[in-house]
Amino acid sequence: MATFFVNGRSVTATKSQSLLRFLRDELRLTSVKDGCSEGACGACTVIIDGETCRACVPKTDQLEGRHIITVEGLSDWEKKLYTFAYGEAGAVQCGFCIPGMVLCTKALLDKVQDPTEKEIRHAIRNNYCRCTGYVKIIQAIQLAAKLKKEGAIPEPTETDWKLGSSVHRLDVEEKVLGYGKYPDDWYLPGMTYGSAVRSQYARARVLSIDAEKAKALPGVVAVITAEDIPGENKVGHIKHDQYSLIPVGGLTHYLGDAIALVVAEDQETLEKAKKLVKVTYEPLPAVHGPEEARLPDAPRVFDEEENNVQAYKHVARGDAEGAIAASKHVISRHFETPWTEHAFLEPECAVAYWDEDGFVRILSTDQSSHTTLHECKLLLGSEKVRVQNQLVGGGFGGKEDMSVQHHAALITYLTGRPVKVKFSRAESLLVHPKRHPFWMDFTIGCDENGIIQGVKASVYSDTGAFASLGGPVLERACTHASGPYNYQNFEIEGTAYYTNNPPAGAFRGFGVTQTCFAIESLLNEMAERIGISPWEIRYRNAIRPGQELPNGQIVGPETGLVETLEVIKPYYDAALAAGKPVGLACAMKNSGVGVGLPDWGRCKLIVEADEKVHIYSGASCIGQGLGTVLVQMVVTNTPLKREDIVYERSNTWIAPDSGDSSGSRQTLITGEACRRACEQLTSALQEKPLKALVGQEFYGEYLAKTDKLGADVPHPVSHVAYGYATQMAILDRDTGKIESMVAVHDVGKAVNPKSCEGQIEGGVVMSMGYALREQYPIDENCKPIDKFGKLGLFRAHEVPEIRAIVVDKPGLDKACGAIGIGEITSIPTAPAIAEAYYQLDGQRRTTLPLTNTPYERRG
Amino acid sequence: MADLLFPKAALVACNGGCRNESCPYGCIGCGMCVAICPFDAIAINKNGVAEVNESKCQGCGACVTECPQGIIRLHEAGSPIVVKCANRDSGKAARAACQVSCIGCGICEKACPSGAARVEDNLSSIDEALCLACGMCAVKCPRHAIYDLRGVLTKIN
Repeated sequence: MATFFVNGRSVTATKSQSLLRFLRDELRLTSVKDGCSEGACGACTVIIDGETCRACVPKTDQLEGRHIITVEGLSDWEKKLYTFAYGEAGAVQCGFCIPGMVLCTKALLDKVQDPTEKEIRHAIRNNYCRCTGYVKIIQAIQLAAKLKKEGAIPEPTETDWKLGSSVHRLDVEEKVLGYGKYPDDWYLPGMTYGSAVRSQYARARVLSIDAEKAKALPGVVAVITAEDIPGENKVGHIKHDQYSLIPVGGLTHYLGDAIALVVAEDQETLEKAKKLVKVTYEPLPAVHGPEEARLPDAPRVFDEEENNVQAYKHVARGDAEGAIAASKHVISRHFETPWTEHAFLEPECAVAYWDEDGFVRILSTDQSSHTTLHECKLLLGSEKVRVQNQLVGGGFGGKEDMSVQHHAALITYLTGRPVKVKFSRAESLLVHPKRHPFWMDFTIGCDENGIIQGVKASVYSDTGAFASLGGPVLERACTHASGPYNYQNFEIEGTAYYTNNPPAGAFRGFGVTQTCFAIESLLNEMAERIGISPWEIRYRNAIRPGQELPNGQIVGPETGLVETLEVIKPYYDAALAAGKPVGLACAMKNSGVGVGLPDWGRCKLIVEADEKVHIYSGASCIGQGLGTVLVQMVVTNTPLKREDIVYERSNTWIAPDSGDSSGSRQTLITGEACRRACEQLTSALQEKPLKALVGQEFYGEYLAKTDKLGADVPHPVSHVAYGYATQMAILDRDTGKIESMVAVHDVGKAVNPKSCEGQIEGGVVMSMGYALREQYPIDENCKPIDKFGKLGLFRAHEVPEIRAIVVDKPGLDKACGAIGIGEITSIPTAPAIAEAYYQLDGQRRTTLPLTNTPYERRG
Repeated sequence: MADLLFPKAALVACNGGCRNESCPYGCIGCGMCVAICPFDAIAINKNGVAEVNESKCQGCGACVTECPQGIIRLHEAGSPIVVKCANRDSGKAARAACQVSCIGCGICEKACPSGAARVEDNLSSIDEALCLACGMCAVKCPRHAIYDLRGVLTKIN
């Protein structure tokens, strides 16, 4: 027992527990986020006697007499100050790290009135952020210091909320002050806790499950196994091959496969009961990677499949082989890229309960509430399901699949009780699909002027234990492997293999991060062979409006690759003139699903009793800022003002299905649907004032129509739009470290330029990790061995100057010309950095993370 | 940008739990570091061992070369989680020598989320470039040999 002070109030903790659990579970101070409970992430940072400290580390018994501050305990002035500074700087994306960052800010400013940038970086260097690349958080702290000294908070710089205005994002306050709710912040009356017993072996036959001892433990509500599932056991984003629970007699596919769900009244009992579930297995040889998976006598990952090939794609136009044979310069290389973990700050969590209308209501953190709805309906064999998105603490592709949502739904459906199912950080690292590792062989042929004649490639990937989005990722890797250049002889074949490793699926860049590393690295080597600069070879080959991409698509007037090259040129020339090692790379990335798949954006504008327009769209805001984008769309396309508009988080019963937050699609696809709804609302407003429209709905939908892969038409439209980018890395010759990154992105029309910059900075820093340090090692038992703190994510003091430049190029006739920015920010980074290191030391690096750099991990 | 942002400060790897009697590795309280320090940043504390005042220390390193026991080193002044022990004996001997000695049990290594804490030669050390300053090792150390210099997670002395 200990008595201490929390936000000035004396409290007594009777049971010794971590300060984090006490603050959240007993005091309900839910601004203190549980990101890992291992001491690594920093999301639970509080201030203890003036010093920042992670709440998950000390036990309450150690805190006698201490004074603890959480963001709930800030003064009103401080709350306003930090909300303004973080909003003005554009520092808030998913928001999960933000309360911790705010307390780091306070602790620093309480000690230092005028902190240097170095001191600011030092103050937040132990707190991870995965969205922002820290750039705007540092700016927010600088601004907060200035305003604190001045003693007054000004009006925001931009306030008109039209497209092109860098207004404060609408969710800044709830995220800075920590009152916005992520699923884990819900505590419902009578709520139980659920968790899965997972397989002991990556590949084994389950022989028996004995839950009697667990069921007999007081406080255990239920133990659920496959035979209790009322609907389909197997769910999945596209292919239904993800077992919700492995049945007796069934095969396990990886260590994350769930065997039984345990439900208990409290978290301690839950952990005890999980250990009491006795499962017997017949361990079987596992498939450790694609090299093993493709052997003719390889063990099969799935009983149901004939072999371990999950997907095969072949893309060809023109005569790549002939063109290469006739080329003056030909280079062939082998490339490899690693597994990567998304490392979003918020681990997966879902809360489920029976709602007042007799539906299983799921409060979720995912990339599409409607996808969760479809999969949970399938599992329960019932239409009585509703999904409501909460705040989403980052996704990056890693929250597209079922992880906890379906288990929560099943528990509530079977027990009738509310339940919270939450992953530990270790579970999160094991279970959700990762970025695919790729093995790639590329050949490029060019003429004497460096004009690309043809490219031929063969790639394969490890898609792990279930399909997830392995097929589409492979497809996008193949369709974009050509790079954004004007040539017509291109051929690639790709194969994704099932293995007993954790699954791989969507990850920012969606396969393109991998093949872009290959093609851009080859192009850099080719430039040297020809005797021109990496910039020049790209400028000569860059796709221009009206030209034909290697996939056959004629690109539109909005195509801005050349502009990104032209904007970066002065920076490139200046760095070269200063004798610095510089690397450059380009990329394109589709905005929208494309390739003939039904890609719908849908949006409803409802005038509710408060005489405001409420925006409903079944599209997840996962930190990228979709809510703000849609409000800016409405302000631009109607006569309404910001105060007339309310953004509603995605749900499945009012908000129409607008697809996943995936493929950089929401700004464009849902943005266009919203714009169409605005047209109707605007014409209604010409007849009547807003208050006379109460109760009316205005609906907009947009089908982004495209041609399927390999469609037999002269110029198939693979995607409705592409974003283009050029990025550049400049090294410090003395330290061998990155001195600065310059990232120039063509986004059509930037809806909120500051938000756009934030996406770019975050994407660049994420892929600096991919290029230089991040790994996800898997041992001989197919077990990922590293903790969150060892993944190699960049920290605030290690991030160089990031110059994000947004290029507006009009021309796209959808969504007021806005093209998605989410993924492309991460794509050209790695090859640009690889080239810079080649310029430093003359070593061509063809694997990631790059070797022989000062960032290389030790031990 | 350099790895270490903040200036270095000297750290005496001993907390004096043996009261200067039985540990062959620890601080002997000779005061040579106190005498050589140009900034008046070192004093002999109530346990009879040298202790650095980081707000005065300029990281010049004079004490490091002066120390006859070789147990003073420079560390990153902003990195608060430190091992204050230099005993490399095996667990039993280290335990016998001092109340707050590192016995090389490895609990810190297991508790560390970032791979910064390592035990080598029966002695824990923290790689400050990897350390996230969470203090999980300090809280879990059964010997209280790992300290939070800010005094938040562990009491000083």
